[in-house]
Amino acid sequence: MHIATRQQGTSIVVDVQGDIDLYNSPEVRKIILEELKEKKVPRLIVNLSGVRYIDSSGVASLVEGLKVSRTMSSRFMLYGLSPAAREVLELSRLIRVFEVFATEQEALQAQ
Amino acid sequence: MEDAVNLNFPSDPRYLGVIRGSIERFAALVGFDEEECRWITLAVHEALTNVIRHAYHNQHDKPVEVSLRERDRGMEVLLVDHGTGVKPEQMTGRDLNDVRPGGLGLHMIREIMDETHYSPLEGRNELRMYKIKGSKTSTGE
Repeated sequence: MHIATRQQGTSIVVDVQGDIDLYNSPEVRKIILEELKEKKVPRLIVNLSGVRYIDSSGVASLVEGLKVSRTMSSRFMLYGLSPAAREVLELSRLIRVFEVFATEQEALQAQ
Repeated sequence: MEDAVNLNFPSDPRYLGVIRGSIERFAALVGFDEEECRWITLAVHEALTNVIRHAYHNQHDKPVEVSLRERDRGMEVLLVDHGTGVKPEQMTGRDLNDVRPGGLGLHMIREIMDETHYSPLEGRNELRMYKIKGSKTSTGE
């Protein structure tokens, strides 16, 4: 898995590529929480277009990011979900709690 | 001798991707469609994750055994570990209306597989799972 962050205006985009599972979800969690808690970004957008597989520990990292974003009054968004990632979020009944967009542009422009 | 594919590996999460690849290919070989293969792989992966986290308490050098076999109209998976067992009645999923991290794996396994049987034996825990071809996994969407 490869993870990197970049700035787009006042937003931070977290690009994740590869599989998110028990082996590497702690790294995803660490970076998301660091951006939200320490850098206090107003909008964090997770790019999942390069993620082929995500397990419950990966979903848990995203849920934790969402919960922290609410306490920090930040926006937490996802985009580019693969069929596999969407299926896992649907199965865990969590797809509705996230702000999910098809493209980065849509996430950046969302009011 | 009954045909089976046996995978033995240490309880190190870095091997999970390798095991997932084997499970997905075995499911395809048995005749499951692409979506079913993804579901089966997820369910077995979640069960393995539970073994590493709960039976072996994140120790990475303990033995895990996975047996895959074609059975009747589907596929059977047997997972064996030698860690801490739990009482079957303690294996309850959580309320999905409670939005919080954790506790999703068991829910996923039960939603995906058609049968699951857990047997905590003396020094050996067995989880047997069965999936029938064509049985749908409901995502509630």
